[in-house]
Amino acid sequence: MHSSPAARALRWVLAWAVVALFAFPIYYWITVAFKVPREIFDNPPRVFDFSPTVENFEKVFGFSFGGGLQTVTGGGGNFYMTPRLWDSIVIAVFSTLLAVVVSTLASYALSRMTFRGRHHFVAWVLSTRMMPPVAVAIPMFFIFKDLSLLDTYTGMILVHALMNLPLAVLLLKSFFDDIPAEIDESAVVDGASRFLIFRRIVLPMAKGGIAATAVLCFIFSWTEFLFALTLTQTSIKTVPVVSSTFVTSTGTAWGNMAALGAAAMIPAFVFILLVQKHLVRGLTMGSLKQ
Amino acid sequence: MSGAPAVAGRQDEGAFARPARGRAVSDHPLPWLLPLVLILLAFTVYPLFYNIYLSFHEYAPFKRALVWVGTENWTRLFADGRLWDSLGVTLVYFVVALAIEVALGMAIALLLDADEPGFGFLRGVLTLTLVIPPAITGMMFLLMEDPQFGILSYVLKLFGLLDSTTPILATPSLALAGVVLADVWQWTPFMVLIFLAGLRALPVEPYEAAMIDGASPLQTFTRLTLPMMGKVIAVAVLIRGIDLFRVFDYVYVMTSGGPGTATYSLSLYAWQQTFSFVKWGYGATISLFSLVIVLVVANLFIYLAKVRW
Repeated sequence: MHSSPAARALRWVLAWAVVALFAFPIYYWITVAFKVPREIFDNPPRVFDFSPTVENFEKVFGFSFGGGLQTVTGGGGNFYMTPRLWDSIVIAVFSTLLAVVVSTLASYALSRMTFRGRHHFVAWVLSTRMMPPVAVAIPMFFIFKDLSLLDTYTGMILVHALMNLPLAVLLLKSFFDDIPAEIDESAVVDGASRFLIFRRIVLPMAKGGIAATAVLCFIFSWTEFLFALTLTQTSIKTVPVVSSTFVTSTGTAWGNMAALGAAAMIPAFVFILLVQKHLVRGLTMGSLKQ
Repeated sequence: MSGAPAVAGRQDEGAFARPARGRAVSDHPLPWLLPLVLILLAFTVYPLFYNIYLSFHEYAPFKRALVWVGTENWTRLFADGRLWDSLGVTLVYFVVALAIEVALGMAIALLLDADEPGFGFLRGVLTLTLVIPPAITGMMFLLMEDPQFGILSYVLKLFGLLDSTTPILATPSLALAGVVLADVWQWTPFMVLIFLAGLRALPVEPYEAAMIDGASPLQTFTRLTLPMMGKVIAVAVLIRGIDLFRVFDYVYVMTSGGPGTATYSLSLYAWQQTFSFVKWGYGATISLFSLVIVLVVANLFIYLAKVRW
C-alpha cells in the first residue's frame, strides 16, 4: 500500500514517540542507579542533569571500581548482593536444564506418536499453566517443610522447572511438529530405533527451537517472584525477592535497589534479543508461529 | 548383539535391522512421557490434594497443629466480605488492564506495521519490558509515583492532572490505577509483538480488493483485519488473562493491598491469610477458590474461542 510522505512522516514520529515513552522508565531507573541519594530525592526530578557515580554498584556488589577488587562493605553489609545474584543464576540455570530435558523427551512423543488420550494429555499440561502460583505455593510450602526442601536450591530448582514445563512442552512440541515426520518414518523403515532417530536426527534439527525454549525458561525463572518469596527464607534469596527488602523502616535504599535491578536486567535483555526470531511463538506457548 | 548399543551397528546394516513389527521400548510413548508425568503428579496433583486437605483443616496455635474443622473454611469463604472485595479488585484489575493492553497493543501494532527504517529496532526495544522482573517493575513505578520526588507525580502535577497533596498509591480511588499502570507498561508490548506478528502474516489480496472498492481505513480494520486476527487476539487474551487473574507481584511490592483494601487481589489475600495471619486452612481455601475460577473460565474460553494447541 502506498502512503503519502506526510502520513509516513507522521507514522515515523508517532512510532518513535510511543516507543520512547515505553523505554523511558527503564532509562530513568538506570539513571537512579547512577545517582547519589540527594539527586534521587530532588524535585523536580533529574532526568539528564546529574553527576553519575558508581557508588551504588560498589555498595551492592562489594567492590570498588577505583582501586581494583576491594571489599567496600566488609563483605557482609545489608546491601551486599553478589550472593543473591549467584542464587538467582544457579536456580535459573539448573531449573532450565531440568525443564528442557524433561520436556524435550515428552514433546517428541506428543509430536510423533499417536496414543489414546493424547489430546487430553496436552490439555492437562496446558491446564497446569493456568494454576495460580499461590495455589501451588501454599501447599508446596508445607510439603517442602516436611521434606526439608524449604530454602534450598533443590526445592527452588524443582519448582521453577515445574513452572516452566507447560511452556516448554507446548513450545517444543510446536518446533518438533515443524520437522517433517517423513524423516523419522524413513529412518524407522531403515530399522533405527525411536531414540536413535530422536538423538541423531530430530534433536539436531530442533536445536534452534530448543535454545529459544531454554532462554525463555531462564528468563521466567530469573524474574519469578511468588515461589521464591514463599519457598526461600534466609540462606538463599533470588534477586526479585531481595529487591523488595530494600524498603526499610528508615526509608528505601533506592540507589542500591536500582543498581541491583539494573544489573539483573542486563542478562535478560541480552537473552531476549538473542531469541527475537522465536519470540512470538514462545510468548504464545507455541500456538502462533512467526 | 545384546548389551551393545544399537549405534554400534551403524556400519553393519544387518545388525542394525530389526523385524518391522517388533516394538522396541522407545516406540512406546510411556518412557518419553514418564519424567513429565512424574513431575506433574508430584508438583501439581499432589499439592492440589494437599490443598484440599488443608482447606478442611485449620492451624490451632495452642495445639501447634492442624485440626479438622470440616467445611468451616468453605462456609466462612462465602460469608467473608473481604474475600468478595478482593475478588472485585481482581476482576476490575483484570478487565481494565486487559482492555487497555489489547486496545493499546493493537493501536501500537498497527502503527509499527510498516517497513520503515528503524522499525525493527523499535520492536526490539519494546521486547525489553517483558523480561524485567515484575517485582522490580513494581519498584520502578513505586519510585516514579512517589508523591514527593516521583517523576510521574511531578509530570501529572505539571499538567494539573494531580493535586499537589495527593499521593497516587495512598489514595483509595487512585491506588489501583497506579498499579494497573505498571502492568500496562510492562505487558502492552506483549500484545504489540503478538499482534504485529499476526498483522505481518495477513494476506495482501483482501486489502487490495478493499482499496479498489473504496473502503475507509476504519471499515478495512473492522471488516478485514479484526476478523482475520481473531485467533491471534484470542490466544493473546487467553495467556495474558490467565496471568492477570493471578496478579500478585505488583500489588505486593507497590501497595501490599492498601490503602485499606483498595488493591487487595485474590492471590495476595490468600497468601497473607496463610503466611501473615497463620490461617493455613483458610488461605488454602481461598487459593483453591481462585484456582477453580481460572480453570472454569479459561477452559470455557478455549472451548468458545476454539483455541487449539
